[in-house]
Amino acid sequence: MANAKSKEQVINPIGASFTRNDVYEKVTGTAIYTDDFQFGNKLLYARAKRSPYPHALIKRIDTSKAEALPGVKVVVTGKDFPNRIGLYLQDKTIFATDRVRFIGEPVAAVAATSEEVAMKAIELIEVEYEELEAVFDAEFGASDKAPLIHPDLDKYICPNFIFPKAHTNIANHFKIRKGDVASAWEKCAYIVERSFKIPHIQHVPIETHVAVAQMDEKGKVTVWASSQSPFAQRNLIAHALHISQSDLRVIAPMVGGGFGSKAGVTMEAVPVALATKCKGWPIKFILTREEEFYTNFVRQGLTIHVKVGCDKEGNLLALKNMMYWDGGASTEYGTNVTRAGGYSSSGPYDIPNVETDSICVYTNHPIGGAYRGFGMSELHTGLDQAIDELAEKAGIDKVTFLKKNGVSEGDVLVTGMIMHKNGIQECIDNVAKSLKMGEKEKPSSPDRLRGKGIAIMWKAPAMPPNPGSSAWVEMSEDGNVTVGLGGQEIGQGTFTVMAQMAAAALGVPYEKVRIAGPVDTQYSPYEWQTVASRLTWSMGNAVVLAAKDARRQILETVAEAWKESTEDLDIINGVVVSYKSERETSLENIVIYGMPKENNEGWTGGPIVGRGSFMPKYVTNLDAETGQGPRAVVHYTVGCEGLDIEIDKNTGTIYVLKGAASFDVGKAINPALVKAQVEGGFAQGLSSAMFEEIKLVKGVMTNPSFVDYRIATAPDMDFPLDTPFVEVPQDDGPWGARGVGEHPMVPTIAALGNAIYDAIGIRLFNPPYSAEKIYLAMLDKGLVK
Amino acid sequence: MTLKTITLTVNDMVETVDVPQNMTLLQMIREKLSLTGTKNGCAAGECGACTVLMNGEPVNSCMVLAAECEGANITTVEGLAKAGKLSKLQDTIIQAGGVQCGFCTPGMLISATALLKRNPNPTDTEVRSAIVGNLCRCTGYVRIVDAIKMAAK
Amino acid sequence: MINPHPGLPELQYVKPATLQEASKFLADNAGVAKPYSGGTDSFVRLRDGVLKLDYLVDIKGLEGTKELSFDPQKGLTIGAAVTMNQVASHPDVLKHYPNLAEAAASVASYQLRNRATIVGNICNASPAGDTIGTCMLLDGVLKVHGVDGVREVPLNSFFLAPGRTVLKPGDVVIAVHLPVPPKGLVGTYKKLGRNRIGDLSIVGVAVLGYPTNESASGYRFRIALASVAPVPFESFKAEGVLSGKKITSELIDEAAVATMDSVTPIDDVRGSARYRKQMVKNLTREALTEVWTKLSK
Ligand SMILES: Cc1cc2nc3c(=O)[nH]c(=O)nc-3n(C[C@H](O)[C@H](O)[C@H](O)COP(=O)(O)OP(=O)(O)OC[C@H]3O[C@@H](n4cnc5c(N)ncnc54)[C@H](O)[C@@H]3O)c2cc1C
Ligand code: FES
Ligand code: FES
Repeated sequence: MANAKSKEQVINPIGASFTRNDVYEKVTGTAIYTDDFQFGNKLLYARAKRSPYPHALIKRIDTSKAEALPGVKVVVTGKDFPNRIGLYLQDKTIFATDRVRFIGEPVAAVAATSEEVAMKAIELIEVEYEELEAVFDAEFGASDKAPLIHPDLDKYICPNFIFPKAHTNIANHFKIRKGDVASAWEKCAYIVERSFKIPHIQHVPIETHVAVAQMDEKGKVTVWASSQSPFAQRNLIAHALHISQSDLRVIAPMVGGGFGSKAGVTMEAVPVALATKCKGWPIKFILTREEEFYTNFVRQGLTIHVKVGCDKEGNLLALKNMMYWDGGASTEYGTNVTRAGGYSSSGPYDIPNVETDSICVYTNHPIGGAYRGFGMSELHTGLDQAIDELAEKAGIDKVTFLKKNGVSEGDVLVTGMIMHKNGIQECIDNVAKSLKMGEKEKPSSPDRLRGKGIAIMWKAPAMPPNPGSSAWVEMSEDGNVTVGLGGQEIGQGTFTVMAQMAAAALGVPYEKVRIAGPVDTQYSPYEWQTVASRLTWSMGNAVVLAAKDARRQILETVAEAWKESTEDLDIINGVVVSYKSERETSLENIVIYGMPKENNEGWTGGPIVGRGSFMPKYVTNLDAETGQGPRAVVHYTVGCEGLDIEIDKNTGTIYVLKGAASFDVGKAINPALVKAQVEGGFAQGLSSAMFEEIKLVKGVMTNPSFVDYRIATAPDMDFPLDTPFVEVPQDDGPWGARGVGEHPMVPTIAALGNAIYDAIGIRLFNPPYSAEKIYLAMLDKGLVK
Repeated sequence: MTLKTITLTVNDMVETVDVPQNMTLLQMIREKLSLTGTKNGCAAGECGACTVLMNGEPVNSCMVLAAECEGANITTVEGLAKAGKLSKLQDTIIQAGGVQCGFCTPGMLISATALLKRNPNPTDTEVRSAIVGNLCRCTGYVRIVDAIKMAAK
Repeated sequence: MINPHPGLPELQYVKPATLQEASKFLADNAGVAKPYSGGTDSFVRLRDGVLKLDYLVDIKGLEGTKELSFDPQKGLTIGAAVTMNQVASHPDVLKHYPNLAEAAASVASYQLRNRATIVGNICNASPAGDTIGTCMLLDGVLKVHGVDGVREVPLNSFFLAPGRTVLKPGDVVIAVHLPVPPKGLVGTYKKLGRNRIGDLSIVGVAVLGYPTNESASGYRFRIALASVAPVPFESFKAEGVLSGKKITSELIDEAAVATMDSVTPIDDVRGSARYRKQMVKNLTREALTEVWTKLSK
C-alpha cells in the first residue's frame, strides 16, 4: 500500500540513463525481427527478376517457362500493377512496366516453395530489351542534351512544394533568393569558390530488407516488414494496389537498423504484389546483402558548387550554392532531399545574401532515398570545407570564425524564418576545448603528419508540413502502464525514451511502463514515419498528451470518489495523493475498476485510456521562386564535431587520435542513449568519410558486397570520442527535447576534410578520403617521394 | 535432393535433424531448430551476425554446411544464459549500453565470449581485433568494447 | 549485375573415407565436383554463381589433412584441414616460422580463420592470398594425392593464373610442407587493406632474410608480393640488389624501388595501379628495414 516514501519520485524519469527496455530480449536472442517469425511449411519464397540495363525499353516478357517450373506458385510482372506511387513525387511503379531505368530494377517476381526453385524460375523468365542512351551524371542529366528518363514527368502527381520541370530530367528545382548576392560579392574582402563531388553511399543496416505478405481469401493483406514506416507503407501500398488502407495491415517488429533505408516503400511492395495473386500463402522476400547494396534506396550523389565570401572582419556576406543531386531512376523521395538541401543551404551560418539552386535530376542510377540526416551531410561536406578555407584566407582562427558566424536567436534564416534559441556557441566551445583546437601539436612519429579539423552543422526534421503522431496510454490491474504508439524502435532507443516520458507525465516509476509492440497498423495509433529525428519531439508530444489525458482521468476518478478537487491531487511514484486530506491510494485496480463513491452512491471511473495526438500546424509553404516564407521548418538541431588526426606518410592511412561531438539536444531525456546515438552517428559519418562509396561504372555498382564496400570495423574506431551535449530547450518539445538521431553523421566528412587539410595542406574534393587518395595527393604535391 | 540426417548438440541439447545438403549451419539453426537469435546479415562470411561457437570456437555459421556438423557441439546466443542467469558479458553489454538495434549483438556476444575464454584479460587492441569480423552499424563499437572490457575485469 | 543465391545453390555434400575414394570421385566427376576444406572461398563463389558444382567433396576427414607437426630435421607439415588460427597459434610455428603466423593472422577475422585453411588459401590461387607468398619464400611443397597416387609439387611451379593451378581433376592436396627454415631466419608480412585490419590486401609484402656466406652482402633476402600480379610473385630482381653489396638503408631503398619496378599491377575496386606500385615500394622498404634491423642486431 501507499506510504510516505511514495511521495517522492524515486528517480525522475526525465534525464535518467535507464537501460533500454528492449535489451534483455536483444542479448538473449529472443527479440523478434521480421525474418524470425515462423510461418510454417506453407511459406513461399520470393525472388525478383531484375533489369541488367541502366536504361532500356521492355519489348517483351515471357514468364511461361518460369510458370511451368514445378514449385513455382505465381509469377507477376509490371502489367498487373500499373499504379504509380511515391512518398513525395509519384513516379514509381512496383515493377518496371514499359521501361527500366536502373540496373537492379525489378521487372518481375516469382514466389516458389523454396529459394532454390525461385532462383531457377527467375533465370527462366525471358525479357527482351531495347537499350536506350543512359544518364550517369546529374549535371549532364539536367542539360537539354540528355535523353529523357521520365517523359511523362508532367503527368506525375506531387505535393505543391515540389517543383518538377516538365520535359526535362529535373524532378525538383528548389530555389533560394535571399538578399542581393550579385552586389554582395563586391563587399567581400575574401571569397572562396569550390566544387565537391559527394558519392552515392549505402545505409548498410546489418539486417537487410525483408518483408512477408499474405492476402486472405477475402482480400485483406497482412505485411510483416522490417520497417521505419508501417503507416506510410500501408498508405502507399494500398494506393498502388487499389485496396483500402484498412484492408492492409502492416506488422513491424524489431528493426535491425534502418538509417532511412527502411522508410517509405521499396521492396515491400514486391511480396504484396505476389500475395495478391496467390491468396492464402505467406510470401517472404528477403534481400541478399548484394541486393541491399545495389537495388535499394541509396544516399544520392551530389555535385555542389559553393561560392562564399566574407568581409575583412570575417563576417559572412554572401553564399551561392549550385547543387545537382543525382536522384537516380525515381525521385519519389529524393525530391524532398533536394528541398531539404535547399531550405537549409546556408548551413548554421548567419548569411545575409544567399542564392541557392538545389536541383534533383533523374539519372539511370539507383534510387535516392532518405539517409540519416538526408541532404545535410552532403551539403555540409561542401559548405563547411569552403568556409574552413575562407576563415584561413581571412586570417581568422577557425573556431573564432565559426563562433562569429554561427546562427543565433533572432537571425533571419535563408528562408526568411526567424531562428530560435540554440546552443551552437556552447557546442563549438565544447569541441574546441576537447580537441585543443588552435593548438598545433606534434605528431607521434616523424612518419606522420598531424592535423585538427572542426565543422558545425544544423538540420531540421525534413518532412511535409503536417506529419502527425498519436499515442494511447492504458493501464492494467497491477497499475502498470502500456503505451501504444506507431513509431518504430530501430535501435535509437525510442521505446525507452517514450516509456520515460509516459512515466514522468503520469507520475509512475519508469519500470512500470511497457510499450505495446510490435507496431501493428491494425492496433497501434498512427505515426507518419520513423524518420527525420522527429520521434522524441513529435511522438514524444503525443505520448505526453496521452499520459496526461490518462492522468486527468485518474485524478477525476479519485477526486469524485473522495469528494475532493483534482487540483489538490497528484500522482507520485504510482500513488495518488491528496495534498489536502493527505489520503493516498495506489493505482492498482482503480485504473480498471474505478472507485466506489462514498456513502454507497455507486461507482466512478472505469478503465483508463488516455489519448494524445500531435501535429505541427505552423509550417508554411515557401515561395517557388525565392524559397521565402514565414516558417520553413519546425526547428533546427545544431551541433559541432571535430577530429584530431594523424596521417601516415607511407600509406596515406588516417589514424584518429581523438574525436569530439557536441549537439544541442534541447533536453536529454536519456543521456546515455543520447551519447550512444552520437557515438554511432559519428562512427557512421567517419566510415562514410574514409571508406564509403557506391562505385558506379555505367550504372553498374562494382562493389555490391561487404568485400568491397567497406564500412568501419572496431579497430578503425579505436580512439576516444568526447560527446558533451548542450541543452537549450525547444519551446514545443517535451521537456524541451528535440531530436539528435541523424545529426551526428552530418558534419563528419567536413570535419575530417578540414583535419586532413590542416595536416597536409591539401583540400580533397571527392570523398571518401581514402588512404589512397590522400597518399596520391601527397605524392602529387611532393610531400612524399 | 536427398536429405542428410545429422545428430549434434546445440545449447546442451542433443538434436537429430534432417537437412538438405546445401543447407548452411546458419539456416539449420534458424529454420530447423527455430533458434532465431543467430542472424543472417550477408551469408558470405563478412558481417559476423551469424557467429556461433562450434566445438568451443567461434565460426561464421553461414560458412559451414549443416551436413558437416555430425557430432558437433554448437552454442548460439540462446545458450549463453545458464539456468535463467545472464552471462557476465550479457550483463555488461546491458550496463555499458552496447546494444542498439541488436542485430549484431548475438554474433558480437559469441565472438567476445570466445575471446574472454582464450584471453581473459585482453587489451583494447585485442578486443577490437577479436570483433573485427562483427560489423555493427549502430554503435560505433564504443560501448561494445567497453562491455567486453568490463566483463574481463 | 550479380544476383547471388540467398544461401548455397543445390548440391550434394560428399565425405569420402579415403584419399583413393576422394580422388576417384573427383576424377569421375571432373568439372562438377571440387574438394573443399574450410569452404570460405568455395561457398562464396558458389553463392555468387561464378562456381557451379554438383558435389562438394569435404576433405577434412582424410588421412594426413589434420596434421600440424614440426620435425627439427624435416620441417613443418600443415595438413589441408588445418585452420589459419591453428597455424597462427601453434608454438612451433610461432617459434620457427613467426612470419607465417603473422601472415595467417592477417587473414579476415578470427571466426573466419577458424574455418579458412592455408592449403585452401594456396589452392584458391587468388593473387590476394595472404599466406601464399610466405609459404613460397619458405620453399613450400605441396603433397598431392591424385588418381595416380601421391606426388610433390613445389609452390614455385604451382600457380598458372588467377584461380588456376597445376592441379588436375582427382587431385587432393594432403598438406603443404615447409622445410626447416634457414638458420637465423627473420621474416615479416606487411599487409595494406582499406580498413586497419581484416580487409583483403591492396598490397601484401612478405619478406624474409637470413645470414649466408653465399652472397656478397652476407645475407639472403627474399621478397614476395600479393595483389600486384596475376599469381603470387617473387621479386628476384630486388633480391639480387640485396645480395651484391653491404646492406645499408640506401640499398634497402634501392631494393624497394626495384621491387616496385618489377610489377605491373592493375587498377581495380580495391586500388589503382599507381597506388599499388607506391605501396609495394613503401611496404617493401618497411618490411626490409624491420627484417634488417632484427638481423643486424
Ligand atoms: C569474409 C572473407 C574474408 C576473407 N579474407 C581473406 C584475407 O584477408 N586474405 C586471404 O588471403 N583470403 C581471404 N579470404 C579467402 C579465404 O578465406 C582464404 O583463401 C582461405 O584460406 C581459403 O581456405 P578454405 O579452406 O576456406 O578454402 P576452400 O573454400 O575450402 O577452398 C578454396 C579452393 O581451394 C580448393 N581446395 C581446398 N582444399 C583443397 C585440397 N585439399 N586439395 C585441392 N584443392 C583444394 C577448393 O576446391 C577451392 O577451389 C576471405 C574469405 C572470406 C569469406
Ligand atoms: S551472415 Fe555469416 S558472416 Fe554475415
Ligand atoms: S546494434 Fe545495430 S548493428 Fe550493432
